[in-house]
Amino acid sequence: MASTIDERAPKSLPDTRWRTRDIVVAAVIGVAFGVVFWAWNLAYAAADPIVAFAPWLKDLTYGVWLMPAVLAPLIIRKPGAAIFTEMVAAGLSALLGSVWGPDVLLSGFMQGAAAELVFAFTLYRSYGAITLVLAAVASAIAAFVHDWVVYYPTTDQTIQILRAVAMVISASLIAAGGSILLERSLRRTGVLDGFPD
Amino acid sequence: MAPPPGRIRVDGLGFTYRGGTRPAFHDVSLELAAGACLLVVGPSGSGKSTFALAIAGLVARDIPGELTGSLVVDGPVGVVFQDPASQLVMERVEDEIAFGLESLGWPRDAMRERIPQVLADAGLEGLERRRSQRLSGGQQQRLALAGALAPQPGILVLDEPTANLDPDGAAAFFARLRSLLSERRATIILVEHRVEEAWPLANLVLALGRDGAPIDVGPPDDVLARSGERMAAEGIWLPKDRVVPAQANASPIAAPPPDPGSPIVTVNGVSFGYERDVPVIHDLSLSIGRAERVALVGPNGGGKSTLGRLLVGLLRPDHGTVALDLAGHDPSRLKPAELARLGGYVFQDPESGFLANTVAEEVGLGLTPAEAVRVPGLMDRLGLPLDEFGSRSPYRLSGGEARRLSLAVALVRDPAVLVLDEPTFGQDRLGYDGLRQILRDRSDAGTTLVVATHDLRLVRDLDARVAEIRDGRVVHG
Amino acid sequence: MIVARDLAPAQLDSLLGRTSPVLKLVISIAWLLGLATTVSAGPPLIVALVVIAAGLTLGRIPGRDLARALAPLWLAAVGLATFNTLFGAANGDPGAMTFAQLGPFRVTQAALAAGIGLGLRVAAIGAVGAVFALTTDSTRLADSLVQQAHVPERFAFGALAAYGAVPRFSEDLATLRQARRIRGLRGDWHPRLLVSLLVLAIRHGDRMAIAMDARGFGSGPRTLYRQIRWGWLDLAVAVGAVVTLVLSLATR
Repeated sequence: MASTIDERAPKSLPDTRWRTRDIVVAAVIGVAFGVVFWAWNLAYAAADPIVAFAPWLKDLTYGVWLMPAVLAPLIIRKPGAAIFTEMVAAGLSALLGSVWGPDVLLSGFMQGAAAELVFAFTLYRSYGAITLVLAAVASAIAAFVHDWVVYYPTTDQTIQILRAVAMVISASLIAAGGSILLERSLRRTGVLDGFPD
Repeated sequence: MAPPPGRIRVDGLGFTYRGGTRPAFHDVSLELAAGACLLVVGPSGSGKSTFALAIAGLVARDIPGELTGSLVVDGPVGVVFQDPASQLVMERVEDEIAFGLESLGWPRDAMRERIPQVLADAGLEGLERRRSQRLSGGQQQRLALAGALAPQPGILVLDEPTANLDPDGAAAFFARLRSLLSERRATIILVEHRVEEAWPLANLVLALGRDGAPIDVGPPDDVLARSGERMAAEGIWLPKDRVVPAQANASPIAAPPPDPGSPIVTVNGVSFGYERDVPVIHDLSLSIGRAERVALVGPNGGGKSTLGRLLVGLLRPDHGTVALDLAGHDPSRLKPAELARLGGYVFQDPESGFLANTVAEEVGLGLTPAEAVRVPGLMDRLGLPLDEFGSRSPYRLSGGEARRLSLAVALVRDPAVLVLDEPTFGQDRLGYDGLRQILRDRSDAGTTLVVATHDLRLVRDLDARVAEIRDGRVVHG
Repeated sequence: MIVARDLAPAQLDSLLGRTSPVLKLVISIAWLLGLATTVSAGPPLIVALVVIAAGLTLGRIPGRDLARALAPLWLAAVGLATFNTLFGAANGDPGAMTFAQLGPFRVTQAALAAGIGLGLRVAAIGAVGAVFALTTDSTRLADSLVQQAHVPERFAFGALAAYGAVPRFSEDLATLRQARRIRGLRGDWHPRLLVSLLVLAIRHGDRMAIAMDARGFGSGPRTLYRQIRWGWLDLAVAVGAVVTLVLSLATR
């Protein structure tokens, strides 16, 4: 039997219009992470001076801060998810008055935009492990550049490299790997029914 | 001039969720006259909420699935949902009302005129700039109703609007519905468990059965006469199941517990607040004897839920002491493993306490091998046999099943003291009977029960001693 | 536990409270970028002092509230300053002047100066953030983003609805940690909490989305109950901000 014309035509572009549900759930993911970051910061603020001596330790957990930029696109699958969710999480910090103030908005934007570029490059059709790792790493690089300019412009080069390596590892394992595991767990609960697979 | 209320005609209507094995509800046919009220009742899982959302035009748009049959709805629909918090989307009261009007493109002047009117009707005048989060539950639901009514819809759908309210809040809400109906301002479809108050409002009753098929449709008295028995058998609450509040056992706390020598929980001069300078519990003292059954009653926000958490050390008092068990341990300082053996807590919303990927994992969390042996038997007794439910995600259970799982989790260690927070919220008759039975069995076996509840029926059925908690204090009878 | 913080009418009606939130954001970022051009101690110090003074006067923020908001800053500032002092690139330059030797760390004057400057930078950024948070109403921010920055409405108000759920999520998190405790599990925190919290949050979000759609959200062009327009106050604040930045950079 001959295949139909449809089967040979290129796949239609994914539906790019955001439903209300897409918007609110993306926002909610950003806010949920914002709440966790806030509570975590409060709990571990005392460790800051100590960690100042070995910052790459803290940078190994940097991936957590990058999760919204990877998890949201993985779930929502619409253009702009990475930027929107990161901005919502950052905006929450800004409104609650976190220590890093408006800078969170800048770094959030850079992290989100970097991840967004990766997803855009795949025309928003690929959400496999490789794409996610690339998006996470791109986000980590953006974060690194931001931190370098704002917080570490005069720091010793070796330390900078150590930081960068720690952040990239953290991004791949935690931001990308963690997002994959998280999405899988969420899917089992049924809460993602109605979102594209 | 407000538009007239709309009519509704439904023919063979049914809906199946995507991926569902059977329809949520099916074969519903009825006609509702303008300005009339339809009451939809049914046990858990009967699809009554789905039906309400279908009338509102929200299924198949937000909710993936297939709608069969025909539905004619004569005009725009306003909707009020069960949970106040998730339907209020703006920070301030007046902005909340404006939200719907803005979405429909009302000009600003018209909005400025309409909003004060709507607030006054709802008894919320003067609260324009108040944060909706700071309103009581009852006020929030009246606000949600006002928001739904602001654009003057001809039809109003309410899905268990009083399920989370205390009796005062519910009464005020029903009063509002009564006045809407008497003014013939809207056609109303009401899904409710609180039949004592809802039944008199209805012109038409639709009873759905456990499998989503209609048991009966018709005027309330006819339906009751024809199908009352069958409805009761399916677990639907009927108007004659009422409890007369005055009969509730109200012995003052000052009376000594049954076995005076062995109080198992002693609260002494406890004060507590979530925020600095805003105490929720004021200098409260209370003594609960071993194997007693105590009901904490009182309005929402009065502190009974907070007190429940203090009793089992989930919160630490700012002042005063809590002593749990005969050795007088402070539960908030016990290690979790020790605490879990002494105290158990059942959360109001079962899902808010789920921690695992599967039902089997959830029940088995943190158990020693000796304790784990009890699990299969307990799950069978609660109607959640492991071979059927074990590998499911806890979040995929129905409301009743989730409630039973949360009970299992609290009961599996056989704690000496069990605290439950509103365990009968939204339960149908069968769920309620099952719960009552389990609690009585446990109590007979020696477990001390503390139940924070509005449900005076439960208080009576448990023959519990009543402690009224109001404004963070015990009110003596 | 995060509780919805009510901005008192005093702050809302203050000059800073009535300034366009979008303008305040732009100023914050502009200052940040401006400060990033130098590691001298002067510029951030001046910006920090100006913004704190503005907050107390133009923003009518009670001293105690501002102090409380600024308290965590010192830790972060000291931490960053210490780090940059100890690990400054200058410390490896044999030509640079040594200030002190702390164990294995050689601290040069250059690194110390940079460390101090960067610590002050954090303080300035944090101060700007605190004053912003204490003088900005979130609904007004959403209105400003939509009407002045032309952010699509559905996204701005979708985000606003999600912000309203913050106290609820905060309670949910607290409840989950209590659930761990009452089940005998050691330790309040566990990665699995994130899954549970997200499930509850997404469910909540779904219900909000349905409620919003039920009221016609996104069904057509939206009108505005609250109007926000550019005004002379905004111009004055903008000018003041530019002057502050220029003057502060002049001290480097």
